[in-house]
Amino acid sequence: MSRIVVLGAGISGHVAATHLRRKLSKEHTVTVVSPNSNYQWVPSNIWVGIGRMEPKDIIFPLEPLYKKKGIEFKQAKVVTFHPEGDTEIDKPFVKAEYVAGEAKGTTEKVTYDYLINATGPKLAFEMTEGLKPATHKAYSVCTYTHATEAWHALDQLIQQMKQGKKAKILIGTGHAKSTCQGAAFEYILNVEQELNRHGVRDMAELTWIANEPQLGDFGMDGMLLSYGSNIMKSSELVEMVFEDRGIKWIIGAGVNKIEEGVAHYETLDGEFHTETYDFAMLIPAFSGHGFKAYDKNDQDITEKLFRGFMIVDADYTPKPYEEWSVQDWPETYQNPSYANIFAPGIAFAPPHAISKPRVSKNGTPISPAPPRTGMPSGITAKLVADNIIDTIKKKKPSLHHKGSMGNMGAACIASSGYGITKGSGISITTFPIVPDFNKYPDTYGRKLGKTFGEIGLAGHWLKLALHHAFLYKAKMRPFWWLIPE
Amino acid sequence: MTRRISKRKRFIMMNPIIQFFKFIYLSLKILVIVAGGHGGTREVQ
Repeated sequence: MSRIVVLGAGISGHVAATHLRRKLSKEHTVTVVSPNSNYQWVPSNIWVGIGRMEPKDIIFPLEPLYKKKGIEFKQAKVVTFHPEGDTEIDKPFVKAEYVAGEAKGTTEKVTYDYLINATGPKLAFEMTEGLKPATHKAYSVCTYTHATEAWHALDQLIQQMKQGKKAKILIGTGHAKSTCQGAAFEYILNVEQELNRHGVRDMAELTWIANEPQLGDFGMDGMLLSYGSNIMKSSELVEMVFEDRGIKWIIGAGVNKIEEGVAHYETLDGEFHTETYDFAMLIPAFSGHGFKAYDKNDQDITEKLFRGFMIVDADYTPKPYEEWSVQDWPETYQNPSYANIFAPGIAFAPPHAISKPRVSKNGTPISPAPPRTGMPSGITAKLVADNIIDTIKKKKPSLHHKGSMGNMGAACIASSGYGITKGSGISITTFPIVPDFNKYPDTYGRKLGKTFGEIGLAGHWLKLALHHAFLYKAKMRPFWWLIPE
Repeated sequence: MTRRISKRKRFIMMNPIIQFFKFIYLSLKILVIVAGGHGGTREVQ
C-alpha cells in the first residue's frame, strides 16, 4: 500500500497522476495537491490572448475528473517539505494549506511514500520593476486569466486603431533572464495576423524585444536546421519571418523597468534605452517557489532539496560554458538526498543554461534561461511515474526509465496565425533539446533531419490537432494513454 | 542578407491541398522524432 503525492496539476503533474492511477491498483493512493481548480492546456493561451479562443476552450475542472478516476484531490498549496517527518509523524510529509472550500486557510500534513514535485515555475513578475500583468499597459499570456486580460486590452486598441489611432506594440521578454521566448514569438505573429484581419496592420508598429543574443535562440543557443532543401540557422529562419511580416526587433535586451507605456532596457553593449508602447506583452522571469524544507528535528535542510528549483540527479558543479556537457543534465529527476522525491517538468533545477551566458559591458547577465516546454514536461513526468510504478510493483528500487533532455526531441509548433484556411504555423523540431557536441560536432550539437523547420498552413492544423488531442488525453477519455506525451 | 519568402514558397505554404499532405507528413515525422524514444546520456561515456 503506497501513497504517491503529486504536487501540481499542470502538464507534468497531471501526466504523472493519470499514468500512476492507470497503472497502479486501487490499493495504492494517488493524491494531487494543487492550488488550481482547473487544468489548463497552456500552449493554447496564445489563442485566448488574441480572442480566437475562450478560456473555457482550454480548461476543465479537475475535481470531477479525479473523483471519477479515483485520484484524491486537495485544492491546496504546499508550504513546507518534511522528507523525514517530524517529532509527531514518523513519515515524510508536505505541509499544505487549503486555498478553497470549507477548509480554506487550514493546513494539513500530507504524508507520502513517494513525492512528485511538479509545481512548475513561479512567474516572477516582481523581478522586473513595474512589470505586473494588466498594469502600465503591459500584459502576459502565461495563464488563461492573463491571456484574457491581454485580449481585452488588445481588442480595445484595435478599435482605437480603426478610429485612426497609430499604435506601437511591443512583445517579447520582460527580464534579462527570461525564458519561454517561443510563447512570445507565437504571440507576436498571431497579433500581426489579427491586425491584418481587422484591417489595421498599417496603423501599428510591431516590435520584438528579447534577451536573446540572436533571433531564434529560444534559450537553446539557436540551432542549425533543415528548411525544405536548405540548411539554415534558426536566426535566419526567424529573421526571414519577421522581415516578411514587417516586424522590427531589438535583441540582447534585458528589460529592467516598466512604466506607463515605457519599457526601460539595457543591451549587451552596455547602453540603456527606452521603448514606448501602447500595448505590450512581456514574458516575466521564472523562478522557484521559495519552498523551505525541514528535517525530523525541525532543522532547515532547504539546501538538500532546493537551489531555486528542486535538486535532482544533475551535475551542478559550476563550470565554464566550454566545459558544459550534455551529461550534466538529469536522467531520472530523482533527488539525490531523498530517493522517494522526484521533480519532473519545470520543477527541477537545471544544471546550467543551454544558451551561452552573456553579460553586458556593465556586468548585467543578459541571456535566456533554459526552456522546458510542455513536451519534455510530459515525457519526464511519465518516466518518473513509470519508475515509481516499477519500484512499487517489483518491491525494489528501479530507475530503469530515463529521459535526459540531451537525448530527447521536442517539437515546437509555433502558431503564427489562426484560421482553418488563413492560419499558419512554424513547426520547429529539435533533437536533442540540449545540444550534444560530441555526438553531432558538425551541426552545432543537433541531428540534422530531426532538427528541421516548416512554415505553413499545415503547422496551424497540427497545433490545432494537438490542442484537441492533448485535451482529450488530459480528460482521460477512452484510450487516452495511446496518445504519446 | 535576409532571406525572403518567395511567391512560389508562399503559394505552397498556404495551398490547402499541398498543406493537407504536408500535415500528414509532418504529423508522422514529428511523432517518430518525439515519441520515437528517449533515454539517458551517461552510459555512452
